[in-house]
Amino acid sequence: MKLNNFRSKLADDLEIPNNVVSDNFDMRIHGNKKVIIENHLGITTYENDLVGINTKEQTILIKGSKFKIEEINDFKVIIKGVVEEIKINSKE
Amino acid sequence: MIIFRLWNLIRGYVVINITNTNYEKIINLLQRNKINLWDIEKKEVGISFKISYDDYKKYYKLMKDTKIETVKKTGFALKIKKISLRRGFMAGIVIVVLCFFFFANLVWNIEVIGANQTIAKEIKNVLNENNIKMPSTEGSLNEKHIETLIHKNFNYFKFVEAYVEGSKLIIFVKEKELESSVIKDNTPSSIISTKNAIINKTIVKNGQLVVRVGDVVYEGQTLVMGIVKNKNSEEFMMVPSEGTIYGKTYYNFELKEEKLKTFTNYTNNDKKVYYLKINDKKHKIIGDTEPFENYNYSERTINIPVFSNITNISLLSGKYYEEKGEEIKIDENAAHNNMKLKLYDDLLKMCSNDSKILNTSFNFEEDDNYYYLNAQVEIVEDIGETIKIFPSEAIEEDKENEEIKED
Repeated sequence: MKLNNFRSKLADDLEIPNNVVSDNFDMRIHGNKKVIIENHLGITTYENDLVGINTKEQTILIKGSKFKIEEINDFKVIIKGVVEEIKINSKE
Repeated sequence: MIIFRLWNLIRGYVVINITNTNYEKIINLLQRNKINLWDIEKKEVGISFKISYDDYKKYYKLMKDTKIETVKKTGFALKIKKISLRRGFMAGIVIVVLCFFFFANLVWNIEVIGANQTIAKEIKNVLNENNIKMPSTEGSLNEKHIETLIHKNFNYFKFVEAYVEGSKLIIFVKEKELESSVIKDNTPSSIISTKNAIINKTIVKNGQLVVRVGDVVYEGQTLVMGIVKNKNSEEFMMVPSEGTIYGKTYYNFELKEEKLKTFTNYTNNDKKVYYLKINDKKHKIIGDTEPFENYNYSERTINIPVFSNITNISLLSGKYYEEKGEEIKIDENAAHNNMKLKLYDDLLKMCSNDSKILNTSFNFEEDDNYYYLNAQVEIVEDIGETIKIFPSEAIEEDKENEEIKED
């Protein structure tokens, strides 16, 4: 955990992408239609109105409707649908 | 994303249904095995998703263990796999593609730009005689050779360009412009008579008129002289002559027309004959030669596409039309009209366009076999022709130049 924070700080100081150095996830939201999450560890839940994504230190809960996983591989997951709420919970 | 989908469509993909309630676990398991999943959709029971056909083959065992249901296999690669089993069909496609490329590479016809239809036909005939026949391959056509051939056979072209465009051989030609007969304004010239005539009217703008109205002039006689005496001095100077000299000319005609004329009429009988033409030699296949006593024969070559060009073998179709001669007596009025028409036709060839007929006298006669017409036509026409005058110094210079050239 501490090492991860250090790596994150180092990445910020060196102005290099954070997710390259640290284990932090990278999330991009396109309006309320699309969410792209990189550095994930898999799906915890998948329903029409709820998608749960597992990352190294957090779990992400996306609430909304008409969810569809456009693409998933070991690096990134693209979720499409109407996003209403995004909740990030620390594991600790 | 479109490229990603297109790429998967080409590679082939498999649609899979999972009815298991614990589908999240299966998704994670597959993605940890580096299997790319896309279009994951929630169904009433379970989910459906797509994976590439290669991954499906690679992890088939893993899929089987997870108890999933394969719904659909699609993609171009899978179709090709199916088609590859149908050898006849594949061979057909290959032949069609080869034929398409072969025929697309052929030049099918010749288009001549810049010449009228008659000359275009002559050009095509010349090319045909020199074994440049259509259709032929683009590689076998030597544009430079074609251009040289046309230049050799047609002197009146100043520019010839041959090039292949698509399935056409384009021949672009430009005819030589006739050299203008009009003499430049500053060139000293005289006007001479082109015919024996009686001077009727004279309009002279420049030069010295040497004839008067009513004078009889002969062919070649000077009408307007280009040498004029200078008003201020005793010297003569040469000027360009300009003017129109009208003269009365007389044309005598003696024409005759047969009273009985033989006309050939076609009966409705015709017969066909077919030959096989191999290297300019004809071999009869079907039909009789010369089936009628009097006949008219026409022949046409039937080329078998491509085959004829390669082998020089073609078919000849000949047709004999039976003819029957019939003697018809020509009516006197019709004969007179015919002779008059001939007379005017001949007259048009002899006179200039702005000529006017003053008087005509016709004398019709006849004997047992012919009608005769003796006619005299009186015409007023422009009889002048402008010719250059060369000063004696210039003539000497020309002679000297010629001598130098000869040396």
